Amino acid sequence: MPKKEMNATKTVLTRYSCPYCQNAFDSFEAIKSHILIAHATESLPEPEGTIQVTINGQKYKFQVEPDWTLYYLIHDVLGLTGTKLMCDRGACGSCTVIMNGRPILSCMTLAVECNGKQIETVEGIAEAKHPLIEEYVKHHCMQCGYCTPGFVVTAKALLDRNLNPTEQDIREALGGNLCRCGTYPQHPKAILEAAKILREA
Amino acid sequence: MECIFEEMPSNPMEHDKYIPKTFHEVGKRGVRRIDGYRKASGKAVYTRDIRLPGMLYAKFLTSPYPNARIKGMNTTKAKALLGVRAILRYDDPEIMGKKITSTQGSEEEVLSEYAYFQGQPLGAVVVADSEEIAAEALGLIEVDWEVRPFVLDQEEALKPGAALARPQWSAAPKGTIMEDWTPSSEASNQMPVSFGFGPVLRFGDIEKGFNEADVIVEFTARRNYHGCSDAEMLCGVTRWEGECVELWLHHQHPYEHKWTMHEWFGIPMNQIKIHSPYNGAMFGGWNWMDYSMVPQYVSALMARRTGRPVKWIFNRRDDFTFGQMDVMTSDYRIGAKRDGTITAVQIKSIYANCSFEGASHLLENTRIPNILSETILAQVNKGPTMAIRCEQSPPCFCLSQLFNHVAAELGMDPAEVALMNDGVEGKDMEHLAEFKRAHGFPVKDSLRECIEAGKKEIGWDQKWHAPGAKKLPNGRMHGMGFVWSQEWDDTRGAGAAGLMFQADGTVNIIALRSDIGLNAETAYCQIVAEELGMRTEDVFYRQQDDVYLPLMTPDGSCNMSTNGYVMKKIAKLAKQKLLELAVTTTHLIERDIPPAFPGLKPADLDVKDSFVFVKADPNNRKSVKDVVKDLKGSVILPREYAGIQNTSHEPIFVFAWHRQGRFGLEPGRYRLCRQAHFCEIEVDPETGEIEITKVVNANDVGKAISPEAVEGQQYGGTYMGVGRNLSEEYVWDGPTGVILNGNLLDYKFATIQEIGSVETIIVETGMGYGPYGSIGIGEDVGTITSYLLHGAIHNAIGKWVDDGPITPDKVLKALGKA
Repeated sequence: MPKKEMNATKTVLTRYSCPYCQNAFDSFEAIKSHILIAHATESLPEPEGTIQVTINGQKYKFQVEPDWTLYYLIHDVLGLTGTKLMCDRGACGSCTVIMNGRPILSCMTLAVECNGKQIETVEGIAEAKHPLIEEYVKHHCMQCGYCTPGFVVTAKALLDRNLNPTEQDIREALGGNLCRCGTYPQHPKAILEAAKILREA
Repeated sequence: MECIFEEMPSNPMEHDKYIPKTFHEVGKRGVRRIDGYRKASGKAVYTRDIRLPGMLYAKFLTSPYPNARIKGMNTTKAKALLGVRAILRYDDPEIMGKKITSTQGSEEEVLSEYAYFQGQPLGAVVVADSEEIAAEALGLIEVDWEVRPFVLDQEEALKPGAALARPQWSAAPKGTIMEDWTPSSEASNQMPVSFGFGPVLRFGDIEKGFNEADVIVEFTARRNYHGCSDAEMLCGVTRWEGECVELWLHHQHPYEHKWTMHEWFGIPMNQIKIHSPYNGAMFGGWNWMDYSMVPQYVSALMARRTGRPVKWIFNRRDDFTFGQMDVMTSDYRIGAKRDGTITAVQIKSIYANCSFEGASHLLENTRIPNILSETILAQVNKGPTMAIRCEQSPPCFCLSQLFNHVAAELGMDPAEVALMNDGVEGKDMEHLAEFKRAHGFPVKDSLRECIEAGKKEIGWDQKWHAPGAKKLPNGRMHGMGFVWSQEWDDTRGAGAAGLMFQADGTVNIIALRSDIGLNAETAYCQIVAEELGMRTEDVFYRQQDDVYLPLMTPDGSCNMSTNGYVMKKIAKLAKQKLLELAVTTTHLIERDIPPAFPGLKPADLDVKDSFVFVKADPNNRKSVKDVVKDLKGSVILPREYAGIQNTSHEPIFVFAWHRQGRFGLEPGRYRLCRQAHFCEIEVDPETGEIEITKVVNANDVGKAISPEAVEGQQYGGTYMGVGRNLSEEYVWDGPTGVILNGNLLDYKFATIQEIGSVETIIVETGMGYGPYGSIGIGEDVGTITSYLLHGAIHNAIGKWVDDGPITPDKVLKALGKA
C-alpha cells in the first residue's frame, strides 16, 4: 500500500510500504519486484476488520465495521433473524447467543471481537433438533415469541454445563431473560423435561 | 343459510344455545400450537426483522424538553451527512398545516412544531441508509427552541398559576365532546374527561348511604405513570409498487391502515396490501393512540419521495413515549355496615392525560347502592396515556383498594366481603340470577366458585390471620392478599373469515389479523375442527397475509367472543357444503362420477375425526380427503390432482361475517363471570422488600377453548401485574422534565425470580357471552393483579401502602422507618 505523508497544505505520496513486511520502498517498480521476490506465494493480507467466525457449524468470513455489534452481524448482515433486539443494552437476554460454549449478549459484543470464535444461535440449536425446542413447543413457553429464542439459547447453555439442574438453578440461569408476556412459569417445566431426555439419551 | 344460525345469539345479550354435549377439539389439552415451533426455533418473522432490497431507515427527532416550540431549524449539516437520503421537516409544504385523520376520528399533525413531553417525536424525520447514520444525522440538526415552563403532576397542573402543559390549545382541546365542555375564561390544564363518561357519576343517594353505615373509611391512593415496553420496539415498513402500496405493520389494527392510506394518499383501498407479521408483544397502548398511524404515513411519504422502501424505527428510548391510563390520585370515603355490606362509596379522582370511570366496576359487579364518583382530568407534560392491558385499570384500582380497606376495618375476610357485595347496579345476586334465566345462561355463582377453588389452592383458611400478626422465623412479616372483580369482555366487534378445503382434504381458515401470542391461530382451528367434525391438525390458519377478509384483531378481551362465532359460522357453512358434495354426482365433461355416498341425503351423514360417515352405519365412512379430492378430471392426466386448470368440481369455499355487539357497553348487559386472585407474601421490615411466595389465580372464563392459552394469560397477567404493582414507573427529573429511566435496565418489569409460584385455576360456569359460553381473559389478570399486593401488605405489617408502585421506600415509610 502506498504510504501517505501529509504536510500542512497537501498530501504528497513519497514512499511505498509493503503490506506483508511493512518495509518501505521508493518507487512502485521497486515495491512490485520486492513483492514478487519475497512474498510471491503468500496470499494477500486481510483488510482491516476482517473476521472469520463459525456460526452454527458453518465457516464465514466477514469484513465488519468497528461499530458493528455481533447482533447486527447475525441479524442484519447474515439474516439469521432468530436472535432479537429488545433492550439494546444488555438487560433483557433476547440477543443471547453461545460463543465458545458461553452464553453471551450479542448486542453488547462487538463483531470485531469475534474473530476465530464458534457461535451457536437459536437456528443452529433447532437444526440440531435439541430436545429443548420440542419441549418449549409442548409446554407453551411462548406467547408473542419475541423473547423465546433468547430463553432457548440460555437454557441450552445451562443444559450444556448441567444436565441435572434444580428448579432454582433454572430460575437463576433465566433470571437475565425478560419476558413481557410473562411466560416464565412454563420454562422450568420444559427445561426439566429436556434435561431428562438428554440424560436418558 | 339462515337456518344454520338461528341458534346462535343474534344479539349480544343472549347465551350461545348451540353448545355440543361433548367436545372433541374445543377445550382439549395438548393441541400443538401452530406458532410454537416457529417461535421456539427463531423462524417466526416480526416487522423488526423485515429487510427489503434498497430499504432505508427513518428516525424521528425527539424533543429534549418537556414543553417547547421549534422557532427555527437548520437541517443543512444533517442533510450533508453521507448516507442521508432525505429529511422531512415540519415546515415541508406537503405536510405544513396539514392534519391527517386517524381512525379514532381525531386529526393529527404529521410533524408538530410543539413538544408537550420530553421524548416526543416532532419536527423532523431523517431517512438514511442505516439506523446509525439516521441517528447521527438527527444529532446534526440544529434547532432554535423556545423553552417553556412545564408541569409534571396532575394536582399541580390544576392549581391556579400552574404552567400550561399545552398552551397552543385553544379553549376546546382536542377530543372535546363539545356539549360537555364549558371553556373556562382562562386557559387551564383541565380537560374534558375521556371515554364518553361524564365528570360525575351519581347512583342512589350517597348521604343516605353514609347515614346507614356503621363505619366510615377514608384514604387516598395514588398510581404513578407506567408504560408498555412491548418486547418488539415500534417500527413499520412501507413500499410503493407503482400506485399500489405495501405495508408491514407492527400494529394491533393492521386492517385500518387500508382506510388511512386511502384517506391520506387517495389510493383505492383495493390497491393496498398489508402484511401483519408476528408482533413482539402488543398490549394496546400505542395502537389506540391517534398518533400511532402517523409514522406509517411518514414512511409512506418518504418511500414515495425516495423511490425506496422505508422502515420507520424507534429505539428503546423512543419507545418510552406513552403510558398506561391509571395515572391517578383518588380520595375515598366509604361507608359500610358491620356485616360487610358496603352502603356508600364516594370517590374523587384526578387523572393525568386520560381518564376512565373509577366506579364502573362498582356498578357492573357489585350491589353497592349508593355511589358518587367525580373525575377530573388534567393535561401534564408527560406522554399520552392510553389503555395498556387495559382501560379497566382505574375501576380495578378503585374496587381493590376500597374492598381491602373495608375488610380490614371490619376485621373480616376480604373474600367474604366480596361475596356479600357481589351483584349488579345496586341489586343482589338474585337479580343477576333472573337475568341469567331470562337470557338462557346457566345460573351459577361465579365468584363463589372462584373463591372456593382459590382458597383451597392457597390454603387460605389455614394461613389467613389478623393484620401484622404473623412474624416468620426468618424475621419477615407474613401476609395474605385477595382481589376480585368481573371477568370482562365488552362483547364488541365484528369480523369476517373464509374457509376453503384443499384437494387433500385439509382446511384453510382465510383472514387477516394481527397476532400477539394468545394462541388464537390454533384456538380458531379447534373451533372449526369441532364444528366441522375434523381433527384440529387438519385445519390451518395463517393470519399474517392480506387475504382481504378481516377478522377482528386483539382488543378489549373480545377477540375470542367475536372471532369464535365467525369460526362457528364458517365451519357450519362448510360442513353443509361438504355433506352436499358427498351425496352429489360429479359431472365431468366426458362422464359422470357417482358421489362418495350414493343414494343418501346430507342429513344421513355426519363428520368425525376428518371422516364423513353414515349416521345409521358409522363403519360406512370415507375420509374427507376422499370426498373432496379431485376426480381424475382430465382424460389426458391420470393423476388424482389434475391441477387448477382441470378440477372436477367446485372447490368448497365459504365465508361468514359476525358482529358481536356495539362498541363499548350495552345498557342492561350484565357481567356474569368473575375472577379472584390470592397471594401469599413476606415483607422484610428492615429493607421494605416484598417477596411473593405464591399467587393463585381463579378465572371464570365460561369455557376454555384452549386451556393452555388461558393459563398463559393467567401466568403472564400475574407477572405483568406484579411488576406494575411493585416496580414499574417512569421517573422524571423534577427540574428538567426529562425521563430518567427510559430503558429496560432502569424501568423494571418482572423477571422469572419475582414470584415463587403461580397456581392457575380455570373455572368454567359457561356464563360468558362468547361461543360455548366462553368469555375473554387477555386483559383481566394483568389488570387486576396490578393492585394485588396492597391488601397483602396491610395483612403483613398492619399498615397501609396505598400508593403504587409499592417500592421498598414506601413500605419503610409506612413502618415509620423512613
